[in-house]
Amino acid sequence: MSEHSQLGAYALGALDADEAREVEAHLADCAECRAELVELEELKEFLGEVPPEAFLDGPPEGGDLLLQRTVREVREAAAAPSAVATPVAPVAKKRGRWLLVAAAVVVVAGALGGGVLIGRQTVEQADGPVPGSVQVSATDAASGATMATTVEPRENWTWIRVRITGLKPGAECEMYVTDKAGKVWTAGSWVVTEQAAREGSRFGGGVLISPDQVKSVEIKTVQGAHVVTTTI
Amino acid sequence: MATTATEYFPGWAPAVTGIVPSVGDYQGADAGETFVRSLYAEHGRSLLAYATRLTGDRAAAEDVVQETLVRAWKHAADLNKGAGSVRGWLLTVARNIVTDRARARAARPAEVADVVDRPPVEGDHSDAVVNTMVVLGALDQVSPEHREVLVELYYRGRSVAEAAQELGVPPGTVKSRTYYALRALRAVMAGSEAEVAR
Ligand SMILES: [Zn+2]
Repeated sequence: MSEHSQLGAYALGALDADEAREVEAHLADCAECRAELVELEELKEFLGEVPPEAFLDGPPEGGDLLLQRTVREVREAAAAPSAVATPVAPVAKKRGRWLLVAAAVVVVAGALGGGVLIGRQTVEQADGPVPGSVQVSATDAASGATMATTVEPRENWTWIRVRITGLKPGAECEMYVTDKAGKVWTAGSWVVTEQAAREGSRFGGGVLISPDQVKSVEIKTVQGAHVVTTTI
Repeated sequence: MATTATEYFPGWAPAVTGIVPSVGDYQGADAGETFVRSLYAEHGRSLLAYATRLTGDRAAAEDVVQETLVRAWKHAADLNKGAGSVRGWLLTVARNIVTDRARARAARPAEVADVVDRPPVEGDHSDAVVNTMVVLGALDQVSPEHREVLVELYYRGRSVAEAAQELGVPPGTVKSRTYYALRALRAVMAGSEAEVAR
């Protein structure tokens, strides 16, 4: 019992050396705890999606000028309604590889033990695409990959599902969504398993744009090679 | 049955709508000012600290915070629907601004070293996407006692002994709470799947 309740603190690396050794000794003998530790460590990965600064509250120190500038900008923008009504103009830019750092914003994958958060099972169990979905598919002559893409409307955001055949096992793929203004959004990354390479790899990711703004969905490898694109 | 965002992630999903342009209830200059001031008062420290770490530069960070708050005002109506994850939305937008600016500044060629920040990706089963808003939204749904123990141990990097002192509870309580906090977090996140499968 005591070892079991220590597992959380152990997974987060918060035990002292003696306690950690105790837990490790127990883990060596207890398959149940080992399995549980795997789950707890996955949760730790999820926690890593939130920056530590998220738990600071209140206004910043010495930020008065910042607040004044911000208020002024809002007042000026409010005085010019046409400017306000315009969506934040996304600037079309070429995506540098190094921005994979940015990809971490929207991405992490993970399974929660038996229950994948929004995993393949969930996607398969859904009663087909939701109303208003758009489905397209395409084959890339160069890579040989075929992708069926479903663009599903959510409450003002969009869930994009793909099923891709012709991928190599072990390939690290990323999904990029281009909106009609030319802005590129990252919708997640994953690794293709042996099974998925044989049977088709499924992936889903969310983007914070409305479905009618989705222009195309492209899969690239993490190394930057184009795999396949579907145009909506 | 159609699956809505709320079914996927009960409780926090509406915050995700924040990107859709809308001035909503804050059209007037006064209302806009009030809105921005309230965001600043509540989230300013968090945002500025985060932007400062990302940019490594206070002046640049202030610009990022300014732009983040202005965008929030432009999307106020949507942001207000999901109070729980407003901060997640703001932090995500701030990070996007930082990366957009960095991208505009230097279209650098591919560098492998730059991908180190990526989370590990494993297995095709993991075709789910979890982001700051999701996790912060889930943390909002566990009890305050559970949340605070995770914040102390994980985000503040405290040991069990330090957290026990900080929270005024015995070390054994910190340990068991940590365990149950992680289980509770797991239940919140897995709960969204149960909703979907219904
Ligand atoms: Zn055990």
